[in-house]
Amino acid sequence: MQPALRHQLAHLDRTLLALMNERARLLASVASDDPGRFAMVDDLLRRQDGPFCAETLAKVFAAIDEGCFDEAARRKGASR
Amino acid sequence: MILHFMQGTANDQVQAVRDRLEGEGIRTLLSTETARPIVAVIDKVAETLMAELKSDPRIESFHACRGDKRMVERAFREKPMVVKVGKVEIGPGKCVVMAGPCSVEGREIMMDAARLAKDAGAHVLRGGAYKPRTSPYSFQGFGVEGLDQLKSAGEHFNMPVVTEIMDASHLPAFVDHDIDMLQIGARNMQNFTMLKAIASAGIPILLKRALSGTVDEWLYSAEYLSAFGCPQVVLCERGIRTYEPATRNTLDLTVLPLLREWTHLPIIVDPAHAVGVARYIRPLAAASIAAGADGLIVESHPRPEEARSDKDQALLPNELAAIIADARVQAAVNGRQFHT
Repeated sequence: MQPALRHQLAHLDRTLLALMNERARLLASVASDDPGRFAMVDDLLRRQDGPFCAETLAKVFAAIDEGCFDEAARRKGASR
Repeated sequence: MILHFMQGTANDQVQAVRDRLEGEGIRTLLSTETARPIVAVIDKVAETLMAELKSDPRIESFHACRGDKRMVERAFREKPMVVKVGKVEIGPGKCVVMAGPCSVEGREIMMDAARLAKDAGAHVLRGGAYKPRTSPYSFQGFGVEGLDQLKSAGEHFNMPVVTEIMDASHLPAFVDHDIDMLQIGARNMQNFTMLKAIASAGIPILLKRALSGTVDEWLYSAEYLSAFGCPQVVLCERGIRTYEPATRNTLDLTVLPLLREWTHLPIIVDPAHAVGVARYIRPLAAASIAAGADGLIVESHPRPEEARSDKDQALLPNELAAIIADARVQAAVNGRQFHT
């Protein structure tokens, strides 16, 4: 891998991680089965026109949500 | 000059150094920093005494100051300052948004504006009760009644409030209404008599940059506030006057990285007064957070077209929500957190 590509990918990965952490912080006050969450993701996937198929992205978001809710629960537990 | 003592140096040891200096007629200031003792030396130190200080094992490092500034200098604190406004903290890693109408225009519309600002994600409620208007025939604000309407709305929605004070004689009314943060407007940035009087109240202050104020002059005004009783100062860049008439002012984001090196004070940006047009605010707000601002102050109104002042730059609720969502992303990707 070229150094420039490695640097740019590493920066994007750090950015994605920072955004997921922020997402987990926001989701901390939302129930994991809140129907509003599913509607938001469905709406997002309907609008997306990128190279990924909607089914793949739905799995990605489901995994991210799961991680975010786990993290939110861990933070809640730690703060008790 | 600012002296950083070794971590763990006992208070009496720090006091001994201060006593030595003050015995020579040299004034000193002790930082409230808790990580290590920090002392600012105000007056010039003679060479022989300087040599004595440099050989003192209790002192770890010496930091030069820019001009006569001491308390706002970056080195006066180990970590950047966090200013607490009500329950909201402003400072590194604590990005905030202050929003609300330019002017307090009535009890009902103030409550509407507060609800919309809160729903959009704003943390601090703004609203002008005393308005510095270019024209004497423009709406001048509701005065004390406006303070009451603003504070009532803030309490109802659990938001601290910030509002401009234009005259030190108004200070008792601001104190009586328990205003959480006083704003010194651009036009009064160098009104030193007023700065001294207002600082004495010890209420956190939002210090806007004057239309033609240099960074140095701005920081001297913050030094006045700190020296006269209010070190809880947040700087606010709001655009400066340049040769360019196409925008209301020119938003000087170049100061953000510079100020990070020069001062420990939090810095927020007012993109609305810089550009003067609501639809241009969003990219400037995102750029401000990306460039390191600790927050934003913007004007929002339930019905901007009916606003009694600055209606061209008042944001609709959905525009405010979009700006705050953008700002949250910019803060996150730049390693900082937003208040939830």
